[in-house]
Parts: sequence; C-alpha cells; structure tokens
Amino acid sequence: MDQRSDREPHTRLVRPTVAYSKGMENLRLAIAIAIAKSAGFLSKSLGRGSGETLPGRVLLTLCPNAIELLSASRVIILVSGTNGKTSTTKELVTQVRTVGTVVTSGSGSNLTRGVAGALMQDSVFAVLEVDELHLPSVVAATNPALVLLLNLSRDQLHRMHEVKRVASRWHEMCKSADPSTLFVADVDDPFVNYAITGAASAVRVSFGAASGGRHPDGAVCPSCGRYLDWIEGKYHCECGLSNEYADHTYESGSAGYRNFVLASIAADMVGVHNSISNIALRTDYRGMERATEKVFAGVKARLRLTKNPASWTEALAGVVGDNVILVLNAREVDGIDTSWIWDVSYANLAGKKVVVTGERGADLAYRIHVEGVESTLVDTFDEAIALFGLGSVEVLAAYTAFFGLVNR
Amino acid sequence: MKIIRIHNELLGTYGDRGNADVLAYRAGLAGISTRVIDVSYRDAIPHDGDIYLLGGAEDAAQILSCNALSGGSLHGAVEKGAVVLAICAGFQILGKSFYANNNEVRGLGLLNVTTVPGTQRYVGDIKIHSDLLGIDLTGFENHGGKTLLGAGAQSFGSVVVGHGNGESGVDGAVSGNIFGTYLHGPVLARNPEFADLLLSRAHGSPVKVDDPLADHYAALRLRLVK
Ligand SMILES: [Zn+2]
Repeated sequence: MDQRSDREPHTRLVRPTVAYSKGMENLRLAIAIAIAKSAGFLSKSLGRGSGETLPGRVLLTLCPNAIELLSASRVIILVSGTNGKTSTTKELVTQVRTVGTVVTSGSGSNLTRGVAGALMQDSVFAVLEVDELHLPSVVAATNPALVLLLNLSRDQLHRMHEVKRVASRWHEMCKSADPSTLFVADVDDPFVNYAITGAASAVRVSFGAASGGRHPDGAVCPSCGRYLDWIEGKYHCECGLSNEYADHTYESGSAGYRNFVLASIAADMVGVHNSISNIALRTDYRGMERATEKVFAGVKARLRLTKNPASWTEALAGVVGDNVILVLNAREVDGIDTSWIWDVSYANLAGKKVVVTGERGADLAYRIHVEGVESTLVDTFDEAIALFGLGSVEVLAAYTAFFGLVNR
Repeated sequence: MKIIRIHNELLGTYGDRGNADVLAYRAGLAGISTRVIDVSYRDAIPHDGDIYLLGGAEDAAQILSCNALSGGSLHGAVEKGAVVLAICAGFQILGKSFYANNNEVRGLGLLNVTTVPGTQRYVGDIKIHSDLLGIDLTGFENHGGKTLLGAGAQSFGSVVVGHGNGESGVDGAVSGNIFGTYLHGPVLARNPEFADLLLSRAHGSPVKVDDPLADHYAALRLRLVK
C-alpha cells in the first residue's frame, strides 16, 4: 500500500480563474458558442445523431482557437490510454465534483471536437477523455494541470500503425508540455513509462510485481530498442527504463482496480480530500469496468466492452456463467483488421454454450474453433439472444457492437 | 512434425502466432501429430524443425530478431529442406536488406529480394492470385516497405486487391520451400489451401484436410475482399 501520509493537496495545480480579456476575440468566441449550442439543439430535436459532437465541430469551424480560449480559465485534467479511458474519466469526475464544478466529454466523443463541445459550459474543472493520437494536440491547446496516462497496447493498428509510434508521440508531448503540467502514469506499462521520461513533472505509479506479468507488446524497450527481459511484471533496461522505482506502489489487481487507484491519485493531486486514503476503503471499483446489464427479449444480458487483446483477455477472465455471446465487428473504431483475435486465449469458454455473431463473427468462430471451443455462428444479435430462452447470458461485444446494444 | 514459431514476442504483431495454431490443428485433423515449439529471442533456433514461422513486427523488434537470426541458424534448416513461412517484417528479414528505423539493415539473404521505404503506408484488405495454388488468397496488409524482386526471383502471387510488394502488382516471394508474403490475418486461418500446401511440403506427401468451418470462413473473406 501507499506509504505516504496524507498531506496538503497540490494547490499549485489549482490555477487562478482569470477573467477573459475583453476584445473582439471573446466576442467572436461568445457568438461561436451561441451558434454551436443552437446547432446542437437543432440537431437533437431533428433526431440527427446524439448531438454530442456537432456543437464542438461547429465551434471549431467558427473559432479555431476555441479550445485554447476556453481552457485558459479553468483546471484541465486529461485522461488517455488504450483501455479504460471512459470509466476512469467517470470516476475522476465523480471525485473532482466534490470540490468544484466539472464539465466532461460524453463517452465516445474523445476527439478534438468532443473536447471543444465539453468546454462550452462554464466550470472550475474540466475532466476530459482524449483519444491517444489526439492527446498531443489537446495538451498543446489546453495547457492541462494534470494528464493521467493509463496504458498503451495494440489497438486499431490500421490507424495507430505501431504502439511504439503512439508512445513516441506521447514522449514528445511530455517534453514540450508546460513544466507545470503534471503527468500521472502507470509505469508498469513500459510505453507509458517511456513517454513520461520526457516530462518535467510526473507521478509514477506501480502495481508491483505480477501485475499481469509481461506487457503483451513489451518485448522491446521503447526507449532504446534493446530486448526487454521481464521477471514477474518487473522490467529493467540497461538504458535505465524500469518500473522498479515508483512514487506510489500498490498491490496488483484487475484493470478496473488499477484505473480506480490512478483516478484517485489524480484526484488527490488536484485537491480532492482523502481520495488516496479512501482507496483502501473502496470495494466498488469493479463497477468501473464497463459492464452494463440489459434485458433483450426476456434474456438478462451482462454486456462488456471488448475491443483489443488486453480488454478481451480482461473480459474473458470475468466470465463466470455458462452462456456466452461473442460479437465482433470491424468498423473503423473497432479496428478494420481482425488479426489480433489470435492473440487472445478463449480456452476458458470450453464447455460453455457459446454463440458468435457480428459482422466479423466468422473470424471469431473459426479462431475459437482452432482452440477447441465450438460455437454457433449466427447473423444477428437477435438470433443469438433467441438461443438462450429466458435465462441470462454474458455478452462480450466489440466497440461498435457494444454501443449499438447499450443504446438500443 | 515440429513447427517452430520464431520470436513470437517480437514477430507477432498481427496475430501471427495463429499460423502455427492453424497448422497444428489441421495436421491433427489429418492424423499427423505435431509439436509447436516457441523459440524466444534468448533461445537457440532448433535445426530439426519441419516448418519455421516468422511474423510481423515493429521496427526495433524486427532489427532485434534479424540480428539474432543472422548467425545462420535458419540456413541449416533451409538446406535440409524445411518449410519456411515469413509474413510482413519476417518476409523482409529473409531478403537481402530492408529498412527499419530509417536505416538499411542487412537481411538473411534466403530470398532474393530487397525492401526499401515505400511511397506510402500500405494498409488494408488484400487479395492475390497464386499460380502455385491456382486460387485467390485473402489477407490484411499493413507495412511501409516496398519489396523489389531480384533477378530470377519468383513472386508468391499477383495482386488483385491491395498492394503487396508495393506498386509492382505482385506480392511476396517463393523459393523452394520458402514462402514470403505481406498477407497477415493470420494468412493460414484465412486460406486453408495454403496451410495444406505447407503441411504437404513438410510431410512429403499430399495433405488435404476437411474442415467445413475453415472453408466457410475462407470463402466468406474471398467474397467480401474486393
Ligand atoms: Zn532501454
């Protein structure tokens, strides 16, 4: 557990509220916001989409530096990483709300336009989930007080190309960020650790040995390119990159637990009282894992988002029942290349009733077949759910499929 | 039959470990017993393998793997007629040279090809026609390198959809029992006939496996990649 005693929050992180300087720029911003808000209202009332990203897009078109202007007067906190952005952001919002007003971006709108949209409302704090590749530009535009870096692993390779490429961009971002920006990072992830070696101020968090063992993509040191030897979740490279030293060391745990701890440390840094001492008291962090219960055609379904090898592995470990539906799509946000499904072991589904569906269901049905797990392959989710009578089922669904079901 | 999966922790970016799993599974259906041996960067490469597999990698990992193999450990197995399947970065390693981290790196020289930086990153679904198999194959490609065939070198297939070796209209290279290609996905999961060809070569007699789900999946991808 954390060895440090409770102490005063980092008050230096709480920036004074400065009034907008008068002038044409702010008039322009005010008009742009008014237009963007009514565009969002109009879009919603016409039933066009969620109306969530449109206002941000309109705002940025009318006032390209809106994010800079709207960030200047508040404490900006950004959350990024391959997995757990949405749930960690939610947890951080809940904690930060105890000390001030907070605006946040809606889930799934973590690109620049989502950030712009969220900042249209006044607040003391803004806690924003940001896409990994968009993070450097959002950091440059918002000059954040704190950036929480969760993890980096293979995801949407057709867009990200390489994990190392994203880590290198983060490294440059940390180097060029304002020295007052504090980076809170999980250093058990060598990519994240490498990124913050460029930062002027960073809080290093480790979950000790055996935190899931070796990072699945961490065979090579992202800093120097040497082979990285792992011993029970610990790594130490000749160049100095290592997770043997951390500012906070916690027990290992599920991804939900780790993200809860990281959110609590970030909350502490921006002045939330007792957030670190509460870590040991809280047991409900499992609720942070993105699971939603819903009833479809009389069948109780527990939905979990699974979008890459790391989140599939985490979700599969949580399957306890005997009825399972797997849904795989391969649209842009899912990643249009499904080859990663071969890097996940589905062996613990053996003996269960498994139904596979989704636009790329055949890919998954064949993959688990080779591992000895037989399934029924059907065209639609409704056909899949109909195979479970009135019982209950655990549904592991890829990104677009998950949100499609949640919003149904 | 020994299937050697080389440096999967380095050469496994695109689910490439699946190729060994598919070979073992299909061999099992054909009544051939197999053993998949994972050889990591720190291990010596066994010389008595029947099939050697190399997959895709990020630049630094590709350099490490190539350096570890440059001692010639693979050459001995190749001389004995072992089957080699090398995908993407693995394919580049088998050539005479390739580029990684903006530097030219000397390859193993088992295939008469050289890889240079491409004019773009080649990303997306790919379909090729293989004369050797007489059929179309599908996969997904994601690479920045453009591979040029040396004099007398033979491509693996002609490109129907996508890029393959770059702008030359062909994909991969074949020399004896060595196969190089940019198709991942993994390629043997999506193309069962190709898996059976490798098994046949390694077994020394024709292997034809009946697995309707594999055929259904392969046919579906062939129909959808266009
Ligand atoms: Zn290093």
